[in-house]
Amino acid sequence: MTLTRRRFFESVADGLCGAALATLLSKDVFGAELSSEPRRVFDMKPRAPNFAPKAKAIIQLFMNGGPSPMDLLDPKLSLDKHHGDSYFDKVAADLTGPEQAGGIMRSPFKFAQYGKSGIWVSEVMPHLAKQVDHICVIRSMHTLHPNHEPALFVIHSGRTIPGRPALGSWVVYGLGSENQNLPAYVVLDDPLGLPINGVQNWQAGFLPPLYQGTRLRSTGSPILDLRPDVEEPSELVRAGRDLLNRLDSIHKRNRPGQLQLDARIASYELAARLQLDANEALDISKEPEAMRAMYGVGEEPTDNYARRCLMARRLVERGVRFVQLYIDSQIWDHHSHLERGLRTACERTDKPVAALLRDLKQRGLLDSTLVLWGGEFGRMPIAQMNGDLKNAGRDHNPRGFTLWMAGGGVKPGLTYGATDELGYEATENRVSVADWHATILHLLGLDYQQLYYDQSGLKEKLTSQYECRVVKEILV
Amino acid sequence: MMGLKSAAALLSVVISALPSLAAESKTTFETNVLPIITANCVGCHGPKVRMKELDLSNFAAARHGGESGPVVVPGKPEESLLYKKVHEGLMPPGGKSRLSDEDIGVIRSWIESGAHSNTEKTEEASARVTQHDIVPIVMLRCTVCHGLRRQEADLDLRSKASMLKGGKSGPAMVLGKPDESLVIQKVRAGLMPPKPKMLEFGVKPMTEPELQKLARWIAADAPEVVAASDSAGTAADPLITAKDRQFWSFEPPHDVEVPKVRNGHVRTPIDAFILQKLEEKGLTLSPEADKLTLIRRVTFDLTGLPPTPEEAQAFAADNSPDAYEKLVDRLLASPRYGERWGQHWLDLAGYADSYGGKLSADHPRPYAWRYRDYVIRSYNADKPYDRFLIEQIAGDELTDYEHAPVVTAQMLDNVIATGFLAMGPDSTSEREVNFVDDRLDVIGDEVDILTSGVMGLTVRCARCHNHKYDPLPQRDYYRFLAIFKGAFDENDWLTPFYNRERQQPGRVLPYVKPGATPFELAEDERSRELHNKEIDKQLEALKADLDQAIEPLKKKLFEQRLTEAPKPLHEDLRAVFATAPDKQSELQKYLAAKFGRILKIDIDDLKEIDAKFKGQAEILETKIKWMEARKLSAPRIQAVWDRGAPSPAYILRRGDPASFGPPIEPGPPAVLTNAAFEITPPWPNASKTGRRLAFAKWLTRPDNPLTGRVMVNRMWKQHFGTGIVKTLGNFGHAGSPPSHPELLDWLSREFIRQGWSMKSMHRLMVTSSVYRQRSTVTPVAEKLDPENRLLSRMPMRRLDAESLDDTMRSIAGRLDEAPFGPADPVFVRKDGLVTAVEGDKGWRRSIYIQHRRSEMPTVLESFDLPPMSPNCLERTDSTVAPQALHLMNNSTIQKLAGYFARRVEKEAGSDRPRQIDRAYWLALSRAPNPEEKKISLEALERFTNAGAGTSADPWSAGGEATANKALAKLCHTLMNSAAFLYVD
Repeated sequence: MTLTRRRFFESVADGLCGAALATLLSKDVFGAELSSEPRRVFDMKPRAPNFAPKAKAIIQLFMNGGPSPMDLLDPKLSLDKHHGDSYFDKVAADLTGPEQAGGIMRSPFKFAQYGKSGIWVSEVMPHLAKQVDHICVIRSMHTLHPNHEPALFVIHSGRTIPGRPALGSWVVYGLGSENQNLPAYVVLDDPLGLPINGVQNWQAGFLPPLYQGTRLRSTGSPILDLRPDVEEPSELVRAGRDLLNRLDSIHKRNRPGQLQLDARIASYELAARLQLDANEALDISKEPEAMRAMYGVGEEPTDNYARRCLMARRLVERGVRFVQLYIDSQIWDHHSHLERGLRTACERTDKPVAALLRDLKQRGLLDSTLVLWGGEFGRMPIAQMNGDLKNAGRDHNPRGFTLWMAGGGVKPGLTYGATDELGYEATENRVSVADWHATILHLLGLDYQQLYYDQSGLKEKLTSQYECRVVKEILV
Repeated sequence: MMGLKSAAALLSVVISALPSLAAESKTTFETNVLPIITANCVGCHGPKVRMKELDLSNFAAARHGGESGPVVVPGKPEESLLYKKVHEGLMPPGGKSRLSDEDIGVIRSWIESGAHSNTEKTEEASARVTQHDIVPIVMLRCTVCHGLRRQEADLDLRSKASMLKGGKSGPAMVLGKPDESLVIQKVRAGLMPPKPKMLEFGVKPMTEPELQKLARWIAADAPEVVAASDSAGTAADPLITAKDRQFWSFEPPHDVEVPKVRNGHVRTPIDAFILQKLEEKGLTLSPEADKLTLIRRVTFDLTGLPPTPEEAQAFAADNSPDAYEKLVDRLLASPRYGERWGQHWLDLAGYADSYGGKLSADHPRPYAWRYRDYVIRSYNADKPYDRFLIEQIAGDELTDYEHAPVVTAQMLDNVIATGFLAMGPDSTSEREVNFVDDRLDVIGDEVDILTSGVMGLTVRCARCHNHKYDPLPQRDYYRFLAIFKGAFDENDWLTPFYNRERQQPGRVLPYVKPGATPFELAEDERSRELHNKEIDKQLEALKADLDQAIEPLKKKLFEQRLTEAPKPLHEDLRAVFATAPDKQSELQKYLAAKFGRILKIDIDDLKEIDAKFKGQAEILETKIKWMEARKLSAPRIQAVWDRGAPSPAYILRRGDPASFGPPIEPGPPAVLTNAAFEITPPWPNASKTGRRLAFAKWLTRPDNPLTGRVMVNRMWKQHFGTGIVKTLGNFGHAGSPPSHPELLDWLSREFIRQGWSMKSMHRLMVTSSVYRQRSTVTPVAEKLDPENRLLSRMPMRRLDAESLDDTMRSIAGRLDEAPFGPADPVFVRKDGLVTAVEGDKGWRRSIYIQHRRSEMPTVLESFDLPPMSPNCLERTDSTVAPQALHLMNNSTIQKLAGYFARRVEKEAGSDRPRQIDRAYWLALSRAPNPEEKKISLEALERFTNAGAGTSADPWSAGGEATANKALAKLCHTLMNSAAFLYVD
């Protein structure tokens, strides 16, 4: 079903960026969209979704390494009861380090219920605990592979293999961007290092390369070659630009009807705006002191992550469609020293994440911004031994894991789905990664079956050939 | 359909036939269900056609299921596909009437009551096991140690006979007595496969159902059946109908007549075909482009570089009637042609200097370049396309290079050519262990590259199920796997690298000099060592220079940073700073970690604080990179070769390596063949199967409907912007139909008439009037031919990534034309910017720059250099802001502008108007028009004033300051202009 032009404008006009979007759309985009011909022109102009969207933008707080559900958001009393019992036979096939397998291990942390919703949160996430009424916890996720690399490909692009477009690429391919001065799909990776799979996490795969994620660096210059290594005097820069404009306009004048030339000239204009706006958008020194303090900017150990959370809010505010945050390599991958490791990871991220939720809510942005938190898989109910049980960790577990979503049309204060009594396998209201992807697209007004790319006549989709569904139960 | 009355009659039949069961009046397969199935389903799901690999004609087969697994779940009709499909009216398909409610009810109650049979006991029926159920299990779990390459404990488990023969501990099985059979005992006790070996060979333990199957087979005295030979090799496949074969691209090209068009434009038959369609619309060809436009267009098209000013001027002055044809011949004879068109083929082959894969390692593939050189040489030599394909698909089976007394250049070429099938990503050397699914992914990519690139078929879709759009049943996919099996056997796998511990050879062959004696080879080896030693010496000196520059600055920065730390710790931190990490005490290590922000100083930190050091360090770093790349590695060939003993091939249900279907024989897709597919050993007593050679010969038969069409269409796309079939990799039902079907057929037959000569086809295409048209868009053409599918004008085109980069180097006088050899290195800056390293003579063409998947030069990537995953059939053209940012701000491009300006000054002297003329001729192959010249002169004046008095010099090149910054700025602007980037 396609939305009528009028209803679409009504539905976007009440949102924050709706007015701007409506103006842009009123030009020619909408008309072009209704055609069933495969697209010929690839750009970032805003495009109409399949139906009225709830969310306009996404901030994905990706937690590399696989945060442990039973120590953070999915408490399991049975682990205490069976602490020390063997469970090896059940899980042997999934273990990456079978020789280190120990017995069932209880969580070192205390849990309590918080907020009106009474969502269970571990003691290591005290800041999130205060914001739980905004989030929807899904405890019944499951994925396709127990190793980081393939599991990362699954959660980001749907299948265990590289070469397929990332979720963010699909989103901006489907919707374009509301801000033509900034990249539509921004990746804020950790200056301390790239995650596993590196830049492949935000690749465009077989989609045109313009849809791949653009890394904006959170320190120094945000884009490669945004500024020259050697700055020229500004008058010289201006003079050079003037010459280029004059030569190009002569060239174009002699070639009417060559649309490529218009696109090219527009790209030079955008590059010039980008040089101004990219720095401005990421300049968090413009934020009031109290705001920076709320996120934890300028204090350890939160500074690194807080800066990027605050930047993410500034980008979404400016109409960027998809902002994705990574954290250096694997801070959630606790094969050993689970207790210490989880405390450290939470100390770095809990305060900034909670501040982001609070900030978005206060600004009225949470309704139109979907926030995603989680990793690529979960962890085992048994210990992974490193000598003493005190130093133990947990091995990877693809069969059941927890993540949360907030804002953008997701039911707040809800806990959805469940794992078995030990937290090993998702049993109730199971949600596959494909289901999750379909649901995210749905919130943006995109039908996962209609968002496809024609590759040599084959309709390639984010959810691939997997049977999946939109998890309607968690929608407002 | 069956009414109540006949149902009653049926019941009475049951009762009379089976009096003993009458009391239970149980629904059974044969009595109740089979009549319904025979009437409605067996046409497709019978023993012959086996649509979706499903045969419902007897109880055992029906219970076994099809491509999607079992279709009957006893007791659970709602979970049984058989019931669901008929209940939902999805079967029978295609407008046939739905089964009656009674019939559906019968099927339902049969499943509900346990899905029994009345002729056999249920258990026995589903338990009928043959060697075809056992062999795949044994291959998956056992034969890596007890098979062809290894016979641990002298045991070979590959066949019934060898199992009975057994090994050191006696026979592996005792017929009829599974519990007494060693193989069952060992597996059951968890002793086999042994744990350490599982990790070593990527074997997983046998599952319980597999073990039970094995036990049942032994219990039944290990029955062997002679399976009906697979249909592709013999008779027509019943899954393929006559109508399927009549699809346009599955029929050989028709012998079409060139249309008679009365029009002065007609120079070649191409023009006649194109004009015929144009005239139907009331259009005609555009006028011929001017000579300078033509020479720029055709030079870029055939060589990827612009004409020199002298070439352009000479052509403009040549008034002979065949001036253009002479130009085309000169370009086709240029060695630059192979570097340009070889790149198009390397895109298709998925060429990369690294293995890619599923992890981040992306190991280098150090010998791939020989294949790259082979492709370039083949194009330059105009190797006939059929020969080109045969060498790449089956070069190892063409001549007996293994036993040849002297290895000839041709033999080497044959083997190097097989690199075509070794270019895809290969993850099997990434970790300690690799599994069968990883290997099937590698083979799958190679099948995909071959079938989509060369045949225009999306065969990959049939890996898990029958193709949705095309008549390509799942078994066709596994026929390809069987063709490849002599070289790529997932049960007898070669990883990319040699593994010393496991004594596993890698997937590379030694390279020998053609015709060389052993003595000469030893000499070569010695001179290689000497060469590398010399380089090591120079490298050491360079690194010492760099260290010397680093040390004092590092100390300086450390002392600066030290002020951030509490005073009492200063002395301790100084001590940590002065101590090598491996000599530090525990306390020092703690401090080192705690104060990493102060103590950890890398070269990029130093570059930030000292611009002079930055310049110095970058020159040294570049030299080091360059020298390192000059080291010679042991000569090897990235190749694929038949190893003579493929394991038997089976269809894998849903593509799952643990769900085996029926055995399958090698062969091309059934829809493309109705004759027997003959495979013979390539020479007497050959230790090669000859499967790929047989396939390559089939592929290059003149009547093959796809091979010629797909290739001429690819060439057409490169010359004219869009393929006659738009979807270059899909000539099937979901692909786009040809815009000029007769032209495509004529071209593909002409291709073969010209002895598969690619240069002949280029000549034919680029000398046509269609190619020589102007690219101007007229209002009429825009209205009647908006997409230019009719070719009422030439399309304007953007330079592709390599042409752009090569051209900037060329006009700057910094293009090193040395061909071939190992790839040149790239430099990866800390912020991720990747640039090609400058050598003594500048940079070589982009095709010779290292193509590591994870480290492609940034500028090339932003201009749509595609990721090879696994290959690229057609590049996209994007227009995005980062392209502008790179061209404006990238320091290498600024440096090139500096070189460009120096060259202009050298060639044109100090006179500004002459400088502008020269810069235009070099960059744009023409003189500036008066307006451009005036603007440029004004700009030079303004640049001089604006830049005066500052020391900023982004154009500095080779350590040399720029004398004429204003001219450099003008040159840089020209390199950014639309006129430079787009070809009319």
